Amino acid sequence: MTPLFAHGETMVWLTGGAFALCVLMIVGLVILVVRFGAGTFWPGPVVRIETLDGKVCMGELTREETYHPEQSLLEGVAQEDKAAVWKRIQERGGRDARHLFRTGNFDLEGTHFQWVADYAVKSESRPDWAMVIERLAWGRFYGIPKAFLVDKKPVAETPAEVWAEYERRHGEARDRYEERRRLEKDEIGDISRRQEEGRLELKRVEMESGKDSPEWRRRKEEFDALSASLGEESKEVRRSINELNRENARYGVVLTTAKGVEKTIPLADIVRAYPANRLGFGEKLGVYFSRWGEYLWDEPREANSEGGVFPAIFGTVAMTLIMAILVVPFGVLAALYLREYAKAGTIVSIVRIAINNLAGVPSIVFGVFGLGFFCYAIGGGIDGLFYKERLPNPTFGTGGLLWASFTLALLTLPVVIVATEEALAAVPRSMREGSFACGASQWQTIRRIVLPRAMPGIMTGTILAIARGAGEVAPLMLVGAVKLAPELPIDGVFPYVHAQRSFMHLGFHIYDLAFQSQNSEAAKPMVFTTTLLLIGIILTLNVVAVMVRTRLRRRFLVSQM
Amino acid sequence: MFVFERLSRYLITAGGLGTIVAVSLVLVFLVWVVVPLFLPAKSEERPPVAAAGSWAKAAPEAIGSDDHLLVGWAYHADGTVDSFRLDTGEALASRRVFDGPAPTAFSLSARDQEGLFGFADGTLRFAKVGVTGRSVSPDGLPEPIRQLAVGEHATHDGGVVAHAAEGQFRMTALDVKAEEPVAVDPPSRILLVDFSHHGDEARFAAVTEDGRLVLETAREQPNMLTGEITRTYSGGEIRLPQLKTGPPPRYVKISGVGDSTYLIWADGRTVRVDTRDPTAPQVAEVLDVVPEGGGTVTAVAFLIGRTTMVVGDSSGNVRGWFCIKPEDAGTRDGANFTMAHELEPGKGAVTAVATSQRSRLLAAAYADGSARLFQMTTENTVAELGTDAGTPLQCLAMAPKDDGIIGTNGKRVFVWRVNAPHADITLASLFLPVWYEGYTKPETSWQSSSGTDAFEAKLGLWPLVFGTIKATFYSMLFGAPLALLAALFTSEFLSGKTKSRVKPVIETMASLPSVVLGFLAAIVIAHYVEDIVPEILSSFVTLPFALLLGANLWQALPGQGRRGALRAWRIVFLFVMSILGVWLGFEVGPWVQDWLFAGDIKLWLDGQRGTGTGAWMFLLVPMSALIVGVAMALFVNPAVRRISRDWDAGKMARVELGKFVAGFVAVIVLAYLLSSTLNWFGWDPRGTFVSTYVQRNALIVGFVMGFAIIPIIYTISEDALSGVPEHLRAASLASGATQWQTAIRIIIPTALSGIFSALMIGFGRAVGETMIVLMAAGNTPVTKWNVFEGFRTLSANIAVEMPEAVQQSTHYRTLYLAALVLFALTFLVNTVAEAVRLRVRKRAYEL
Repeated sequence: MTPLFAHGETMVWLTGGAFALCVLMIVGLVILVVRFGAGTFWPGPVVRIETLDGKVCMGELTREETYHPEQSLLEGVAQEDKAAVWKRIQERGGRDARHLFRTGNFDLEGTHFQWVADYAVKSESRPDWAMVIERLAWGRFYGIPKAFLVDKKPVAETPAEVWAEYERRHGEARDRYEERRRLEKDEIGDISRRQEEGRLELKRVEMESGKDSPEWRRRKEEFDALSASLGEESKEVRRSINELNRENARYGVVLTTAKGVEKTIPLADIVRAYPANRLGFGEKLGVYFSRWGEYLWDEPREANSEGGVFPAIFGTVAMTLIMAILVVPFGVLAALYLREYAKAGTIVSIVRIAINNLAGVPSIVFGVFGLGFFCYAIGGGIDGLFYKERLPNPTFGTGGLLWASFTLALLTLPVVIVATEEALAAVPRSMREGSFACGASQWQTIRRIVLPRAMPGIMTGTILAIARGAGEVAPLMLVGAVKLAPELPIDGVFPYVHAQRSFMHLGFHIYDLAFQSQNSEAAKPMVFTTTLLLIGIILTLNVVAVMVRTRLRRRFLVSQM
Repeated sequence: MFVFERLSRYLITAGGLGTIVAVSLVLVFLVWVVVPLFLPAKSEERPPVAAAGSWAKAAPEAIGSDDHLLVGWAYHADGTVDSFRLDTGEALASRRVFDGPAPTAFSLSARDQEGLFGFADGTLRFAKVGVTGRSVSPDGLPEPIRQLAVGEHATHDGGVVAHAAEGQFRMTALDVKAEEPVAVDPPSRILLVDFSHHGDEARFAAVTEDGRLVLETAREQPNMLTGEITRTYSGGEIRLPQLKTGPPPRYVKISGVGDSTYLIWADGRTVRVDTRDPTAPQVAEVLDVVPEGGGTVTAVAFLIGRTTMVVGDSSGNVRGWFCIKPEDAGTRDGANFTMAHELEPGKGAVTAVATSQRSRLLAAAYADGSARLFQMTTENTVAELGTDAGTPLQCLAMAPKDDGIIGTNGKRVFVWRVNAPHADITLASLFLPVWYEGYTKPETSWQSSSGTDAFEAKLGLWPLVFGTIKATFYSMLFGAPLALLAALFTSEFLSGKTKSRVKPVIETMASLPSVVLGFLAAIVIAHYVEDIVPEILSSFVTLPFALLLGANLWQALPGQGRRGALRAWRIVFLFVMSILGVWLGFEVGPWVQDWLFAGDIKLWLDGQRGTGTGAWMFLLVPMSALIVGVAMALFVNPAVRRISRDWDAGKMARVELGKFVAGFVAVIVLAYLLSSTLNWFGWDPRGTFVSTYVQRNALIVGFVMGFAIIPIIYTISEDALSGVPEHLRAASLASGATQWQTAIRIIIPTALSGIFSALMIGFGRAVGETMIVLMAAGNTPVTKWNVFEGFRTLSANIAVEMPEAVQQSTHYRTLYLAALVLFALTFLVNTVAEAVRLRVRKRAYEL
């Protein structure tokens, strides 16, 4: 019989262990991201805690951990109790748990979060009417409603009445706020854009025909007239803005914090408010989805740590689409060349080496190349030729959507080539020969026979390229992704697509939020959500690509029969 | 029709060849940006001009120029300053700096456009000396000047007016303004002076005829309304025996922050006085700046920042000296004035030295009339500046923007235009240790920017290359074995159905954005791992232990004959044992911490407690596992084989289990004994590969980046293993080989080149990976192998610094060089991998 060690069972187990570890790590990672990413928006209860030294705080539980408290740093315990508390901790082996509460009220307390150690807790309760208020500025507010003010006079004095009043009036106030924002952004933005265009036009004329030339004088008069009329318009818009502001300033909610401080919050500044401890499951679900809605469709607030990521989603999509438009034709041509035209030889080997290197060169190198070549060399050249009047402010001569797309197109080229080649190879030779036999030329064969059958493969390549492009961040840091882009790269202003504009990107958003955020603890849940979103997009794209490929293979098999 | 055919052919061929163009374009562009770093500096001599009329008396003591090399100035020993055009030599203006007798000593700073002068009556006076430019309104200018084309200039009213830009005129003229005197007490003739500005203080030193070194600090308070500066003085003095007897020193020099004052005699004798407290100066050290003897000091100047002193001597040597702070300095201020740089010697004595106002460039003139431009830190001779003068240049100055050098021999003025934008970069300075100012020894360092002007950018790529190597090493150490073993298991021991389900899962992970991994690594994993280091370390032992134990128990299970029935469950038990192994690691972790790491691994790593035994265990556990394994195979297995002929499988398995347990105990005991022995010898490896714990470290990066490269290595090597023709596998199994034997002897050797290719591509990915290291490696450019410390890689460095780098600057080009290094490295690796892969394909056809 075969000796036992010949089966190498132990070695097989080691290889299996490696496999198990890989799978476990992947599963663990996905669970981690889904768990934290999906849980971000779920409204938790608001807890009011009284500590042994008589202080109170109120907020939502964020996380907990166990640690070794140090005797000298027993926080939240009155001096005379310290010895007893310390003894109790020692009895538990010197370890104790502590909880991090999001206590908000940054404008009053100077902090968003507060650690509370278990040993210091005297009592814990969930106040019935504790409200969570998401504001436009200063982060969240936790408090108990005291009054609803109209024209500085309270119209409701009990929490229930205030809540009812809030629900009745909040919608209108928010509508007015939105209208004001629209006026500021669209109307005023439009006015200053026209002003700037006039100024640039004047400057261009000055550069072309010199200052004090008759042409310049004429333009100058025109510009002055334009400025004056724009000034009027802007005054008009500001008047309506002021009106809206005045109306909104009439309403306010007075809340009492856990410490007993009263604070009036203007109604229009409240994005969302809910009595956390009174919500039923359905209402919680409502808050949850309302937050998701805001997240997906709104613009970021508070240095990206609140609000939505719509501009980042938009930027990512716009960038990958432009990239796809650039990369797919080029990639398909290259694949056609390799499969249909080139004869095996040195050139084909060089092309293959080139493709492999494009695939293997670190993405940051493409970023460096993109910055130097596209942004500075080509973009700088375009600026020098067409946007002289704006210099030294660069137009194309800096990172932007177009250059990012170019850079990533270069980066994802091999993906498209490899996938297309695979698809072309799968088209049976007999079909080509049949086509030639019927008298079709090579181009006709490619056009009518080969390409249609290779279409799913090209689709696969495109989707994979988009997935790769959507997840790549390092080169974008150099060629145009920014923390906060003031304007979307595509909007209603001629010429509609502003490819020179910098843009926001989901991947860069993660990096930026996780590392550059001032309030990193509050930003963390948002990062997890964005991570979930990004992974979701990319994995979906990949799964779709795999499905398309499988279908392609199946079709190929059928046609073989 | 024909046209279409042609057109499509051209277009498609262009598309194919376009890939070559794209790759070459990337390469060529990177090279194109990098190359200027290594190009020699350009220098061009303008035709020399005859010196201005008033110079007939004597050569000037000092010269200088304006920003645009239009107007020069010269200071003469009699206390006059005159200005002249640098292009024609035409004299423009001449002024006496002070009324009354000529100064007996002076010190001029071109950078501050200021001078300090000493007088026979023991007074000191500051004065502004230099040429300055200001905008002038065209209305006040005469017609011929207003007609100048843009870029032209002409003499006007004792200065030069240049038409700078359309409608803008600039007047450059001599600017001299004396300030009120301050007297030394008791008054004595001033022999030497020097001064230095530091913040809102001016520190100055003077040597008097009665043998004192007087130090003063002038606190400067500008009057907000008038712009006038009021100075309040405080200071002290020291009487030195060296000043009493013998000739007086030739130079007095005060350092930039005023902490040291140097007295230098002609023969090289140097006394460094500790003047950190100017009211109580003390001698710090006495040394010789012309160590060979016989020579004399002929020129002394400070580089920018007034820390590095340039000393030229009569043998043609130019050397750079600065204070370093070694452990065993032996001086009262803990510093040693040390010679750090020695430049290429010239012919004949050094006659003049001029230092740059913005960089570490300096020019030196020699007795044979020649001159050279040097870069001090790299000791690089940047340019040779020839003259046909024959007589040596007595004064030398560098233009404020480093774009020119002017010199005079008293009769003629020479002007060189130089262009040396990247003089501080040489191939050696990028990769080898360089002695930067203030460092105790030559070091490789990357530090590209800082707040002050005098700061010297340290652009040594080695720490970044090291960081890249370290990141790649630790991630390959973790990722490569896991990926390869997992690939082997998938291709050889997993049933087809499970395989088709699991493989895409691992493959899909290849598309996971690295920013996500980086974020998880830095924010979640780094935070969590910090608290469980001993547990993690224990898992490295307990996980293999649990798996091997599982294997041995599995063998010992009764009913191995019905293996087919059990086999499907093996994968389940594998997962159970893996989880169990990690759990076990967490259970024994605290205990291991008490045993090896003195109860607290972080303090232990700092070297604050415990012994080196634990650190040796890192290395010796795997090593003794190897030793025990080999010993088992050599000595125990043959013996077991001899006596086990008639045992049944069950008994055999039980013996194997016993062997394994004994072996495991032996590994731990052996490792511990060896470690204790090494520790007993007093060798403690802490401070080398294990040292102080930093939250973002190589362990985290190794783990997460290993995770990132696993899918690539796994996919490619699994394809290679699965690609081994089925008939080879079948033949081996049919010959009676077990599955394992087939895998080891047949499959792996056949697929070896594919596996190699997989490793290479994984390596390439690890080298260039940016986001993970950027977020999780801490980005400190240190060169230590310590697993628990971070690093800065080439890629992360580019990502951090590129957006801020000024276009075309040295820093910008050096970052391009870093990108080029990455490109070249991955190009090499990918090409090798591709070549190997092609060979595999060929061999696969042959089989």
